[in-house]
Amino acid sequence: MKRRSFLKCVGCGASAAAAADLLPDFLGLVQNAAAFDLQKELSKVEARYYKKLPGGGIECGLCPRHCQVTDLERGFCGVRENQADVYRTLVYGLPCAMNVDPIEKKPFFHFYPGTEALSIATAGCNVNCKFCQNWEISQSRPEQTNNYNYTPQALVDICLSQRIPNIAYTYSEPTVFYEYMYDTAALGKKNGIRSVVVSGGYIEREPLAALLGTVDAIKIDLKSIREEYYKNIVSGKLGPVLKTLEQIRKSGVWLEIVTLAVPTLNDSEAEFHDLSKWVKTNLGSDVPLHFSQFYPKYLLTNLPPTPQKTLETAYDIARAEGLEYVYLGNLPGHPSESTHCPKCGELVIERRGFRVYRNTLAKSCCPKCGWKVPGLF
Amino acid sequence: MAGTPNPVLHESRSWYIYYMSSVAVVKYSNRDSLSPFDAAVYTRMLTSAFCLFTGAKDVVEAIHRVVRGNTVGIKTNCVTRKVNSTPVSLVDALARLLVKAGYLDNDLVVWDRTSRELSAAGFSLNASMKGVRCTGTDANGIGYSNSFFTSGSVNSLISRILTDLVDSNINVPVLKDHSVAGMSAGLKNMYGAINNPNKYHADNCNPFCAHVSALEPIRAKNKLTIIDATHVQYQGGPGYVPDYFAQYGGLIISDDPVAADRIGLEILEHLRKTNGQPSLEKAGRPVMYLATAEALGLGTATMSKIDLRVAEVDSDGRTKLAELLS
Repeated sequence: MKRRSFLKCVGCGASAAAAADLLPDFLGLVQNAAAFDLQKELSKVEARYYKKLPGGGIECGLCPRHCQVTDLERGFCGVRENQADVYRTLVYGLPCAMNVDPIEKKPFFHFYPGTEALSIATAGCNVNCKFCQNWEISQSRPEQTNNYNYTPQALVDICLSQRIPNIAYTYSEPTVFYEYMYDTAALGKKNGIRSVVVSGGYIEREPLAALLGTVDAIKIDLKSIREEYYKNIVSGKLGPVLKTLEQIRKSGVWLEIVTLAVPTLNDSEAEFHDLSKWVKTNLGSDVPLHFSQFYPKYLLTNLPPTPQKTLETAYDIARAEGLEYVYLGNLPGHPSESTHCPKCGELVIERRGFRVYRNTLAKSCCPKCGWKVPGLF
Repeated sequence: MAGTPNPVLHESRSWYIYYMSSVAVVKYSNRDSLSPFDAAVYTRMLTSAFCLFTGAKDVVEAIHRVVRGNTVGIKTNCVTRKVNSTPVSLVDALARLLVKAGYLDNDLVVWDRTSRELSAAGFSLNASMKGVRCTGTDANGIGYSNSFFTSGSVNSLISRILTDLVDSNINVPVLKDHSVAGMSAGLKNMYGAINNPNKYHADNCNPFCAHVSALEPIRAKNKLTIIDATHVQYQGGPGYVPDYFAQYGGLIISDDPVAADRIGLEILEHLRKTNGQPSLEKAGRPVMYLATAEALGLGTATMSKIDLRVAEVDSDGRTKLAELLS
């Protein structure tokens, strides 16, 4: 687009309000502001989990970053702002993405298979994964996204009227819209709507503990078992994520784990061994572990998609380490999308893509040998 | 980004001045008031600053020497509402001088990252085909570049105002203390041109501040820096804290963004010292990104390599030589 065309494009939206002769006025007197969508109103709900610092500024306690933020500045997430030493969330009630998805898309394979979830996200994220598949919203500030306006009550009303049993907080990073997620989950719970969280697990213990009292299932991206990977690729730290996984597991809230296998960065056999071993040792053999295929996006467009063979190797290693429920993601039609009884090998839930074709579990048990498959069915 | 040679000075000084960065500082003689300067005062200061910096005899000639292209951006800093943001009166004066130099008013684009912040700082938005344009990157039809630009540790989208709309840009920040970076001036102001500034505040913004300014469109299009140092938040910034707000009464102008910031740092540290504050280094906020920027070739952060000219202008526009820190 040439400059003049660009100018016209930008200008045409404002032309109706620009009737006055503005030439002599310059900046101080131009009065056509109404032509803009300048009031992309952001929320001013006070954030939770922060403390005021002596001498001014605040320290956020929501995630392990503990951003110290002075007046009119924002934390790393870009969606929480210090306004006169009151920390505020700018995205409460302002989702920028909203869809009805199968629960398998999150993915949850042991949580009410075949049901749907009203899936929402706001702008912002507290890490910066170079492979992010949703970077357009996760790495944006709320001014840069087109936001809807849905209160927690409005979301619950949609679910009730459309008979959608779940709300999923997903796509970007729900931790950064904690208040919105928490209030919606609490309201949903009162109305019989379940809440599921899809997160990187980069959250402090206290807010997580409160959240665990209101939600029904959490899927955590364990992006790698290597500290170096978290430092260089994720812009975060591994330790807090491992603690989050342990805390969720102890709480009894349903947990599934996803690892995105990125070619050359975290796809060695040694790493698959270490990751699977850690999951079995610290969380148990019956936590579902999904290995997902990477597609080149965001800052890693130089890498190819994960080869199917690599994912199958990961599957074999995790099974050999003793994990009972291992799945491969982003490989539609692959046999490893389905659930097999770990005791007798019977196919108990047949899936293709995000669709459930057959579920033969009887009261969560294998119809052939009676093995109880963990999860909520 | 070598400094602009000053022909007058060059005749009387040794040849190496050609290879030094030039910075001009113009102070207003009647600077006792803490109230904002009006456009008339800024016009006198800018006129003097352009001439002092370039060695030209009149402001039109001076502007032609340092401002390039047909469409010119004026990047403001409007993060902190009306106080500690780029004054409307300064931008108004600058726009009038550019029009006097032959630019069409509609080819001047006053901008920052959001229309909301521009508005809160007192600017009137204008996206029409008449008058000086004034718009945030978030306005309909603008937004950020479709592809990422990378420089060292920074990967960002850049405002399309800079990449697509303007031929060159004049960076008009405010000199102030910054709680993380130590100092906010020209380089830090370019955080307002990228989509993800919140990702780059660790380690006193070093090396990020330098890397942001090294992003190709920023490096290529930033032709001039004019730092407003009339009223300086020397501690407690970037927000407004009245207890630490001082009058300096100056404008800093240079085509070397690093050298302009370096002089800004001298002023900031001087104001901190005279008002009983520790140096930024002792306060735990050393401004390390200037040395990083120099190492990247963005400009000069070494005082001995900066050709500094300081003048004082009075209410009648008369100019006389002055000291930087007096």
